[in-house]
Amino acid sequence: MGNNNVALTRRVTSSLAQRVEPFHASVTPVADVYETGDAFVVKLDLPGATKESISISVDPNSLSVRASVQPHHQETASLLHNEIGVKNYQRDFNLGEGIDHNGVKAEFVDGVLTITLPKTEWLKAKEITIS
Amino acid sequence: MSLIRWNPTRELTSWSTDLFNMQREINRLFDNFLRGGVQDDGTFGLSYWTPAVDIAEHDNEYVVKVELPGVSKDDVKITLESNVLTIRGEKKQDRETKNDSYHRMERLYGSFQRSFTLPSTVRSDKIDAVYKDGILTITLPKAEEAKPKQIEVKVK
Repeated sequence: MGNNNVALTRRVTSSLAQRVEPFHASVTPVADVYETGDAFVVKLDLPGATKESISISVDPNSLSVRASVQPHHQETASLLHNEIGVKNYQRDFNLGEGIDHNGVKAEFVDGVLTITLPKTEWLKAKEITIS
Repeated sequence: MSLIRWNPTRELTSWSTDLFNMQREINRLFDNFLRGGVQDDGTFGLSYWTPAVDIAEHDNEYVVKVELPGVSKDDVKITLESNVLTIRGEKKQDRETKNDSYHRMERLYGSFQRSFTLPSTVRSDKIDAVYKDGILTITLPKAEEAKPKQIEVKVK
């Protein structure tokens, strides 16, 4: 029983260590999310990422964005000021119902990723006239 | 709505990331507060936002990188005045917000500014600036007298 607890503790801590280690490099990018008449729009600041380094995945419940910034200074340079660094961007959003997953579009301009998630017909506001 | 299996380590991951981000934000808040003091309108801190910056020193030049996502390059002004490099400008909101409803608004808009004193003289006529993927890169070649020189001393 005691041994079991030790083994369990060890397993938990080792899995913790695995997950804690890369945190310093992982950054949550800031985002604007707004809603227009026929779509939701997500804008994420990903400065330093390249179009090729960005991966976006959409499933029925969530939208997830990953991107990485490669080292951009030569090794011979000495850093006098270091706020940008090398990092991985990572952010997830929960999605509700009413999104047309096949119509999702994304573009990356000047370090800003814009993802457009179109609404399905039933989510769009309809005006009903009284007859 | 489908059921999602609860994964405690996944929650821990996002929780710890949040914690690190919070620490970073608080550091920045204190930085801005200490640098800016009290504004005319009674608020604390700076009236402008400060982009993140890297400055690297090479043998022959300084390379300054500034994170400016979504800023148009025409809205950025770089000045050098007696070794003080200033980057200032404005990030304009790219769209009308009147009719749309916002769910989140975390990105910063408005004026930004940062100034740095360079450790040695640079050739002001050879400064080069490039804007790509949200990063402004300024290359400032060092003046001849500031470059490292190797002097050989003969031992007798």
